[in-house]
Amino acid sequence: MTTRAVEAWTLEPLVKFVKEAGARLVLVMTSAGQVLAQSGFARAVDVMSAAALGAAIMASTEEIARQLNQAPFAALNHQGERHGIFLAGLATGRGRLVALVVYDLDVSSLGLVQLFFEQLAAELQAASPKGSVSKQVLAADFERDLSDSLKTLFGR
Amino acid sequence: MADDVKALSSQLAQDPDSLVFLRLGEALRHKGQLDAAYRVAVTGLERHPHLADAHDLYARILADKHDYERAFDEWDMALRIAPAHVGALKGLAFLYFKIGDVQQAAAHLEAAQQAAPDDPGVAQALALARGGATEVERAADPAAEAEPATVQESLAPAAQPLEEARVFAGLEGAEEGLLLLDGSGRVLGGALKDSAGQDVTDAVAAYLAGVSHEAARTAKLLGLGDWSGLAAEGKLGHVHLTSPSADALLLVVRDRAVPMGRLAIIAQRAAAAARRWLEEQG
Amino acid sequence: MTAESPGGGYGRALDLITRVRGVRGAMLVSADDGIVVAEQLMEGIKGPALAALAASLTTRLRRAMEAAGVGVSLFWHLQAEQGALLVVPAVSGILVVAVAEPDVNVGLVRLELLRGAEAVA
Repeated sequence: MTTRAVEAWTLEPLVKFVKEAGARLVLVMTSAGQVLAQSGFARAVDVMSAAALGAAIMASTEEIARQLNQAPFAALNHQGERHGIFLAGLATGRGRLVALVVYDLDVSSLGLVQLFFEQLAAELQAASPKGSVSKQVLAADFERDLSDSLKTLFGR
Repeated sequence: MADDVKALSSQLAQDPDSLVFLRLGEALRHKGQLDAAYRVAVTGLERHPHLADAHDLYARILADKHDYERAFDEWDMALRIAPAHVGALKGLAFLYFKIGDVQQAAAHLEAAQQAAPDDPGVAQALALARGGATEVERAADPAAEAEPATVQESLAPAAQPLEEARVFAGLEGAEEGLLLLDGSGRVLGGALKDSAGQDVTDAVAAYLAGVSHEAARTAKLLGLGDWSGLAAEGKLGHVHLTSPSADALLLVVRDRAVPMGRLAIIAQRAAAAARRWLEEQG
Repeated sequence: MTAESPGGGYGRALDLITRVRGVRGAMLVSADDGIVVAEQLMEGIKGPALAALAASLTTRLRRAMEAAGVGVSLFWHLQAEQGALLVVPAVSGILVVAVAEPDVNVGLVRLELLRGAEAVA
C-alpha cells in the first residue's frame, strides 16, 4: 500500500489512519480539490477524477446545508455491495480539508473508519502548519497545481 | 506433474470446500496452464473469500498473465487479511520493482524479512535491492518459473507443522484440537480437524493472526490492558485462543460437550506445554 | 451511567445487563457497520470505539470459527488484565455487548446477553 504526500506533515497521520482503519484508498485534499496526500491509488488519472468528484460532492452538500440554514454536514457515507465510500471535512491550520476514504466491507466498517477518522482529524490539526490557510485557487493556477501535486504523488 | 494435477483435481472434486485448490492452482500455474489455474483460483476464492493464501495464488496467476494492476489489488487484499503474509509482501515488492519504485519494494521486502527471517529468497532480494532491479526482480518475482528451490519454498502457503507430537505430547486432542502458531500465523505445532474429520489447520491458521491482532487492539483502545484470552461458543463447538508467549498463539477447539470452564483449563495446560516447547526451541 | 436508547424494548434489554454486578456498560451494535444502536455506559467508556472494535473482532472471529468447523459464534468473551468484553450476536444482525470488570460473573452476564439478544431479535 503506497502512501504519498505533497505536504509532508500529512504523511504520518495518513499512514497510521490507513493501517488502523483498513482503508483501501484515501485522498486528502483542499475543498477546491487540490490533493495534499493519497494512499492506495496506482494511477494519477484516478487521483484526478476522485479529487474532482469528492470536491464536487462536498461543495454540493455544503450548498444544500447552506440553503437549509445549517452548518455543513460533517460526513457522508455511501455503502455498496463490497465497498464503502466515506467523505468528510476536517479543520486544520492549512484551512478546511476534505478526506475521501474508500474501504472494503470485508476488512473494515463504517464504525472503524469513523473511529480512526476522528484520530486522523486531530493529528492533522496538530501537525498542520499554523496560519497557512490556502489561497483561493484560480482556474489558471489549478491545472499547474494539480500537475505538480501528481508529479509528487507518483514520482513522474 | 500431470499426475499431481490429476490427483489434486480428483481430491478437489471429492471435496470442493477443501484447500486443495491452492496446490492445484499452483501446479497448473507451474505447468503454464494459466487459464485452468485462473479458473481454479477464482472458484477457490468464491468459496474462501477471506483466505489470504487464495488471494496470493490468484495474484500470482494474474502476474503471470501480466495483469499487474489486478495482481496488485489481490496481494493488497491478502495483506489486509494477513498483514504479515510473506507471499503477498514479496509479490508487492516485485510489482514495485517493475514500476521502478525501489524504495517501496525494499520496504515490502523488509516487512517480509521480519515475518520470515529465515527466508533466503527475501534476504537475497533485499541484499540486491541497491544492486540493480533486474536481479532483484528475479529474486522477488513470485511468478518466476525457474527459481531456486529456496524461493519456491518461501512461497508455500503455510509451513508444515513442526514436530507437532512433541509440542503437546500427552495432552488430549494434540493431533486434532490444538494449534500453536507464530505471530505471522504460521503453524508451529498441533493440528485441527473439523467435525467431518477434514484437516482445517491451514485455513484456521490463516485467520487467527487477524483475530489476535484485533483482540490486542480492542483491549488496548478500550483501556482494558493486555488481553489474556478469547473464548467463544460456536453452534457446533467451542474455541479458546490465548497467547502463551509474546510471539505465539494457541488455539484449543473442542465440541460443545466440553464446558467453557473446562476448555479454559485445557487451554492453560496446553499453553504451559507450548511455553516449555518454545523455550526449548530457544 | 449515560443512556442513549431509541426504544423502550432496547432500553429494557440493556437495563437487565447493566444490573449485573461488575458490568460497566452495555450496548447494542450494528454488526455490519460497527456503529452504536443503543447504549448504557458508565462515564469514560467510548461508545463508538467499543461498537467499532467489538464488531470488527466479531467478524474476524466468525471467519476463524467457520474455518474451524465449529459454526457461527453464539457468545464470545475477551479477557484482559483490567476488564472483559462479552458479546452475543443476535439473529437480527445486532450485537449485544457488555464491558465489565475482570472478575465479573461471566455466566450471569452471558445469560443476560442471551436474553437481550432474544429481545432485539
